[in-house]
Amino acid sequence: MPTSPVKTRIPLTSFGHLITEVKRQLFAIEPPASVELTGLRKYFNSYSLQGRRNCVLATYGIMLVTATAFFMHRQNKKEAPKDCTA
Amino acid sequence: MALNFFDQFMSPMFLGFPLMALALTLPWMLFPNPSSRWVNNRLLTLQGWFINRFTQQLLLPINNQGHKWALMFSSLMIFLLSLNMLGLLPYTFTPTTQLSLNMGLAVPFWLATVIIGMRNQPTHSLGHLLPEGTPTPLIPVLIVIETISLFIRPLALGVRLTANLTAGHLLIQLIATAAFVLLPLMPAVALMTMMLLLLLTLLEIAVAMIQAYVFVLLLSLYLQENV
Repeated sequence: MPTSPVKTRIPLTSFGHLITEVKRQLFAIEPPASVELTGLRKYFNSYSLQGRRNCVLATYGIMLVTATAFFMHRQNKKEAPKDCTA
Repeated sequence: MALNFFDQFMSPMFLGFPLMALALTLPWMLFPNPSSRWVNNRLLTLQGWFINRFTQQLLLPINNQGHKWALMFSSLMIFLLSLNMLGLLPYTFTPTTQLSLNMGLAVPFWLATVIIGMRNQPTHSLGHLLPEGTPTPLIPVLIVIETISLFIRPLALGVRLTANLTAGHLLIQLIATAAFVLLPLMPAVALMTMMLLLLLTLLEIAVAMIQAYVFVLLLSLYLQENV
């Protein structure tokens, strides 16, 4: 059976390609080549796959640390009045 | 016994025995089994043609790794399609109006796609949570939004199917009741209501087929991301 000649250019599940195309066509912002990214940007950027992965892991890590610190602080606050009354 | 409008959505029972298993097995009993004949009869040929064509179109954008899901997708499609269409018969219970059933289908399939993605290509799966080219200040916000949208997916899948079918069945019952009540009082208005009921029934037939297709299509898209 012949297949349809229409092929979607932008994957339906990825907004990344839409964002890249909008930036390129409306604002003339080209994504930087990998050699142009230096320092921290080399590992944390939104262009390369590894950069995006590192950003996601860093965000999750920061959120986890913040939540842990918050709950431990709350536990300490609960225990402190109990020690005062005892 | 006067039925209220929501009795059609109650799980069927007979003398205290739940008939849900029978309701779920009915589509399987209606479809003919493939035979070993070289040339089958018309019904079997049509069934085979439909399943092959549907599976081919669905798996077109998915790479070879995802083709292992062909049987799962085709059987899910046939199952949902037949349940939805059979439910349009009068006084027939529609299992896909039950949120428990739809969530029981949506959550394991979605979770399977996520686990496959995290296990086989974790970098790719995690990279999907941040769209390419996102401006730097928006990165944390977009990661949180994409994570929320990831976890909302199974909920949306299940609720979409439930809500569409429940709303359709309820509307049919409401308009049919209105037409029946108006018949002795205002026959002309009752006739117009019946025309509306006919159009609504045609719409519900379309919705039944489309919702089954959308369920399977979205699952295939989630698989495409992770495979």
